[in-house]
Amino acid sequence: MSHTLSIEHVTKRYGRFVAVDDVTFEAQPGRILGLLGPNGAGKTSTIRMIANITAPDEGSIRFGGREVGPWSQELMGYLPEERGLYKKLKVGAQLLYLAELKGLPTLEAKKRIRYWLDRFDAESWAGKKTEELSKGMQQKIQFVATILHDPALLILDEPFSGLDPLNSELLREIILELKGENRTILFASHRMEQVEQMCDDICLISEGRIVLQGALRDVKRSFGRNTVLLDFEGDGAFLDDLEARGLVRLGARSVSRVEINLLKDTPPRLILETAMRHVREIHRFELVEPSLNEIFVRTVGKQAAAGQTAPEPAAAESFS
Amino acid sequence: MPKIWIVLKSEFLRRVQSKWFVGITLLAPLFIIALMVLPSLFMYYASQSEQRIVGVADETGVLFPALEAASDEQLRFVAIDEPEADVREAVRAGTYDGYVVLPASLLEGDGAVTYYTGEGGGFSARARLQSVVERAVEQQRLAAQNVPPDVLQIVNTSVPVRTIQLTEAGEEVGNSEFYFLVGFLMGIAIYLAVFIYGAQVMHGAMEEKNTRVIEVIVSSVRPFDLLMGKVLGIGVMGLLQMTIWSLLVLAGLTFAGSILAQFINPADLNLPADASQEAILQAVELQIPALSPLVFVWFILFFVGGYLLYASLFAAIGSAVEQQQDAQSLMAPVTMLVIIPILFMVSLLESPNAPLSVVLSLIPFFSPILMMVRIAITDVPLWQILLSYVLLIATFIASIWISARIYRVGVLMYGKKPGFRDLIRWARHA
Repeated sequence: MSHTLSIEHVTKRYGRFVAVDDVTFEAQPGRILGLLGPNGAGKTSTIRMIANITAPDEGSIRFGGREVGPWSQELMGYLPEERGLYKKLKVGAQLLYLAELKGLPTLEAKKRIRYWLDRFDAESWAGKKTEELSKGMQQKIQFVATILHDPALLILDEPFSGLDPLNSELLREIILELKGENRTILFASHRMEQVEQMCDDICLISEGRIVLQGALRDVKRSFGRNTVLLDFEGDGAFLDDLEARGLVRLGARSVSRVEINLLKDTPPRLILETAMRHVREIHRFELVEPSLNEIFVRTVGKQAAAGQTAPEPAAAESFS
Repeated sequence: MPKIWIVLKSEFLRRVQSKWFVGITLLAPLFIIALMVLPSLFMYYASQSEQRIVGVADETGVLFPALEAASDEQLRFVAIDEPEADVREAVRAGTYDGYVVLPASLLEGDGAVTYYTGEGGGFSARARLQSVVERAVEQQRLAAQNVPPDVLQIVNTSVPVRTIQLTEAGEEVGNSEFYFLVGFLMGIAIYLAVFIYGAQVMHGAMEEKNTRVIEVIVSSVRPFDLLMGKVLGIGVMGLLQMTIWSLLVLAGLTFAGSILAQFINPADLNLPADASQEAILQAVELQIPALSPLVFVWFILFFVGGYLLYASLFAAIGSAVEQQQDAQSLMAPVTMLVIIPILFMVSLLESPNAPLSVVLSLIPFFSPILMMVRIAITDVPLWQILLSYVLLIATFIASIWISARIYRVGVLMYGKKPGFRDLIRWARHA
């Protein structure tokens, strides 16, 4: 069975508020799909429907060609953005409970708990109450709970939050390993550099609708090489001048580095020439595809500018 | 393995394995038995140890012999003729517990008796003193009027009251106060159990929501299975606890007599040292009546029914709120439903077979407490018990169905504190 996840024309309403509006996309096994979008865009609503926690009002969600349901929950591991474990329960008992709920037999579950705790260098935690662990440790335990039952579909919402660089690296390794085992992985995050690093495909949702989707490479290519990366020493005031004249838009910027988007066919050499007149030294001048961050800001910003941003009803907050 | 079973097992085990559970389960019966046994023991010891010595300044010159004759283990009367100042000193020194002055005018039906005492309290001693003096004055005055002895006998007759309870098994002597107490305690026990275990269900639901673990759980199990598993798991824990308690109390009552007898010295009761336990207990007028095991069976069944009904409501409330204080306003109506039968309990104990009592004990939200009280104190027709139980279970099925719908929406709802209207909306649209 091919473990393709297909979301077809899915709509979800809460009262009069449309949280997800006719969304269609596909996630392929062996690939990581980045699910992006600003806060309140409908990511969590979409994920909850995929996880069969809520049901779509219209459209269908299939996994391997079959409508999702309790059966698919057993094949799916979900790491929600809002983490949570039973505080008083010991780590071992906690993992066992969560694994059994996924349909794993007790003995098999115990074996895998040992394997994964060992993998995360956490074998000594099994007898500890969860509340005794640090936040980072709890994150790891929750990740273990997500993958214990060997799920074919993984939904990871901000999996790296709260982890130190060492643990982030370990987690990244394991996620890529899981991808290599031909699992279908959904990766939701606001951290664009992580998405860029991990994902093969992206799907950008804003206000309940898909505004951009496709393979990450294609998406970036479609935005063209109209971005200049500039590393320099000296006074960066000239940049503001360029922006004021409507020639460029400034992206990520620090004292000595800036991402410059060329507007209206502004030639790259204009930037270089201006910079040479104003700064002491230039360490890098490179014409690149825009960063995902930039693409996100541009796409979502454009949509907002089009005046479609209606203030959300307060009650909808809880669903998003 | 069905998911309900996995949830049930986990909820049950994680509670039963806590030190809190083991401690409460073992200590509570000791407390209950102590509560039932200690008062009679105290009364026995009090009567043994505290004999009050009361001096009598008899200005009538005729009453003292009657008083002296009425001395018993609680009160002993001794004549005094020292000056009053010396007597006061003797009371302060503790030689006498008090003294009483009987003025001569007493025999003319005039004047008052004054009782001087060194301590406060001692109401029963005062009441006893009053009746002894009253009777002595009465006798004296009757004698002075040359009342014939057969009339005296009529005046002196006291009427003993004996209670016999009629049951299907025939008549049982005596213990209606005891069944009264059992009925009351069982009613209160079900009330407390419903509240305490129901609150645990509510807190369980609230904790899952608060810690956000609920999101992971509902991606593995249907909310209905989670709700049922939780209610049943905590219910089995409660059932285990109640069964242990019932058995321990039952055993305690069976052996309470023997235990009690160990504390009593037969010599105090003018019994031979090798007197049997029955003889001893009879002598102290202490009886521990038997209780039909069927009453305990119904007690467990009504506890289960009442718990299930209320726990399903508490679970729905717990799923709707994030914090304890938000739960208060939603809990108020449920709390009312549990408190109403407690309010009616006294009148029910008074007249368990009055039409109002019968009707109230059939109403599902009240029957766990009120029908139980009736079963304990009187013979309730079987059809009434069965009818109330069927109604109770039917109401539970309806309430768990509604609660599951509220639960499904509630567990994922954060932010705004929901009101009753929200709950109804969720139940209708879920």
